[in-house]
Amino acid sequence: MSLIGAIRADTQRAARLRRSAVGYLFILPIVGFFLAFVLYPFIRSFYISLTRWAGYGTPEFIGLRNFDALLHDSIFWTALKTTLTFTAISTILQTLLPMLLAILLNAGWRGGTLFRTLLFIPQVVSLVVSGLLWQLLLDGNFGIVNRVLADVGLHALTRHWLADTHTVLASILAVSLWQSLGFYMLIFFAGLQGIDRTLYEAARVDGANRFQEMLRITVPMLRPVTAVVVTLNLIGGVKVFELIYVMTGGGPDHSSEVLGTYLYGLAFGSTAGSIPAVGYATAVSVVVFILGMATVVAQFWMTRRSRNVY
Amino acid sequence: MTESRIADSKPMSRRTFLGRSAAGGLALGAPALASACGGGGGSGGKAKIRMWTWYSEQQALWPKVIKDFEKAHSNIQVENRIFGDTNSYLPALQASVSAGEPPDIFAPHVLAIQYGKAGIALDLKKALGSDFLSGFFPSTNAEYSDGGKQYAIGWMAQTFGIFYNTEIFTRAGVDVPETWDDFSSAAAAIRQKTGLVPCSLSNNPGPSGLDFFLPLITQVTDNPQLVLDLDMQRGGTTWNSPQVVQALSLVQKLVKEQAFGSGINGVTGTQAATAFYTSKAAMLYSGSWEPQGFRMNAPASFQSKYKVMQTPAWAAGKKHWCANQAGAGLSVAAGSKNKDAAIEFLKYMYEPARYAQIMNQSHSMPSTVAAGQKIQDPVLKEMTSWLIKGNGCPHILFGKGSSDSASNELAALIGGKKDPQAVAAGIQKAVHQAQGR
Repeated sequence: MSLIGAIRADTQRAARLRRSAVGYLFILPIVGFFLAFVLYPFIRSFYISLTRWAGYGTPEFIGLRNFDALLHDSIFWTALKTTLTFTAISTILQTLLPMLLAILLNAGWRGGTLFRTLLFIPQVVSLVVSGLLWQLLLDGNFGIVNRVLADVGLHALTRHWLADTHTVLASILAVSLWQSLGFYMLIFFAGLQGIDRTLYEAARVDGANRFQEMLRITVPMLRPVTAVVVTLNLIGGVKVFELIYVMTGGGPDHSSEVLGTYLYGLAFGSTAGSIPAVGYATAVSVVVFILGMATVVAQFWMTRRSRNVY
Repeated sequence: MTESRIADSKPMSRRTFLGRSAAGGLALGAPALASACGGGGGSGGKAKIRMWTWYSEQQALWPKVIKDFEKAHSNIQVENRIFGDTNSYLPALQASVSAGEPPDIFAPHVLAIQYGKAGIALDLKKALGSDFLSGFFPSTNAEYSDGGKQYAIGWMAQTFGIFYNTEIFTRAGVDVPETWDDFSSAAAAIRQKTGLVPCSLSNNPGPSGLDFFLPLITQVTDNPQLVLDLDMQRGGTTWNSPQVVQALSLVQKLVKEQAFGSGINGVTGTQAATAFYTSKAAMLYSGSWEPQGFRMNAPASFQSKYKVMQTPAWAAGKKHWCANQAGAGLSVAAGSKNKDAAIEFLKYMYEPARYAQIMNQSHSMPSTVAAGQKIQDPVLKEMTSWLIKGNGCPHILFGKGSSDSASNELAALIGGKKDPQAVAAGIQKAVHQAQGR
């Protein structure tokens, strides 16, 4: 290489470096933010889960003892079981019902827009407000739900909905469904708009009826959207907290305790008046993280599968 | 005009942009940085005391109290923050403690002893002196004491009794019960003759049921120290002792007899009180804060309909032990640069005439004997008289894992899932497990 060529190459390299440096400078704030507020707390959480720590003083390293204690903690297992139950049922209900509603509304009913708007309204109300509202409606002594049941002659069905271990989770699931139905329905509705109409025309030429169209065209074509809705529901189910915290605080007798409410109670002791066990609570949060990761992996798997199919 | 000026202006180079951005950022961040590094000093050389509580009962009174104090102490400034409830207060307190900057004066909730042992809360026996503390009801001092030190003082005391609706009692033809057996009979009569819930009781969140159960242990033993020792697992005491089982057996008996409403484990304090003042329940087992709530929430016609009775005795002739402590206390941060100023403010607030006035004006139960003798509210006066007689006993658990363990197991007993023996053993086992965390 000639001297001029070498100088030119050096100059180009320097210019490239300068350009890169400017680029790095621009992303520096967000990288710094990510390191300080995401990565460091994330790594630190794993460390804290291996310690005995009340949130003050020096954490005492105890290895895997917190996780060993979790294995023998009956409330943890109850919370895990309830979390998985809540996640499974809410995912099924909050996927199938919105999908059916979206398909029905997509059929072009008169007043469909109004109905869609009405269903979406609960979504704009915060979870905390919804929880407080439904806590009043479901109150065993003064709630409207019991009053209506009694007034229409169904007194035998009146319950302490949130105070009865047999009905509390179903009540919360119903509120969760009420809250999210409109949102997921809109996602499905948007998905339905993207389906090529010629597919239906071709099916009709082949003699398919409406039910067959739905089964053979609509549902399969909605698979990518369904994957998104299922994933959102799974993640929402694993990390469910606000609604249950506000409505029952995990009670009665831990029958609506989920991992979120349990770890919050352990870390801050606010509902139970307990001494904080931040190390132990962080071990619970690690379990929540693992469940969340499993959900993300499931999402990748489902997305890839639907991509392979089409 | 503006457009041409923009067009004429020289384009800003990347370097200039970055340089100016950095300068701007520094300019914006400098004040925050300066204030963060400023330490605990107040404005204009004043010592600034930060006080955090959730005690909204005195919300309207604080501005005047603080203004008068600052007027008398020109070198001290008080910044008072009242949180809505413990659910919002405790995480904030914990975050400040974790960050090493707790407020100078704070409500310790159930953490006073733990914070004291960790060097976060100041030993007030040393700072205020034994004479100062001797004016408090013994039960409100005992709850914050361990190893000869005291890490908080009571602000508002709480005493539990049974509020009852005199009209419903008349309709049912029952008298104020002397013992728990009398209470059972009265409950049966109320249920039979009026169809109403005999007594409203809440156990949501869990620890509220302990307010009913723990005094029964003292009633069995006539020893208020036992619950404190069980809480701290001192002196070889264990939760699975026969006395605890006896107390639990009474709870089970009353639940089975339907002396309380259904769904106790899901009933909140507000719901229990509402059932009482809307005349759906003849009685309400609750604390000395209720009269203030009745005044705010109940119909005016209700105010003359209710009275309060002592907790029934274990047997005829025995003492009417009643739950009493100061759930609302005040601690001083041991590491505070302004702890002398904080102590000065505490002394000012607790000056007998001033403290009695604050408690009377806020319809709160005081923690000192002197203020207790000056109570004007008739219901609170009645409840305070039980303390002056020495009937107060503990009902708040402070030890690691105690509150959670006892409330979980009590809920299982109330829910009919476990018997008293299994519950007592369960508490002991859970406390042991929790202490290892």
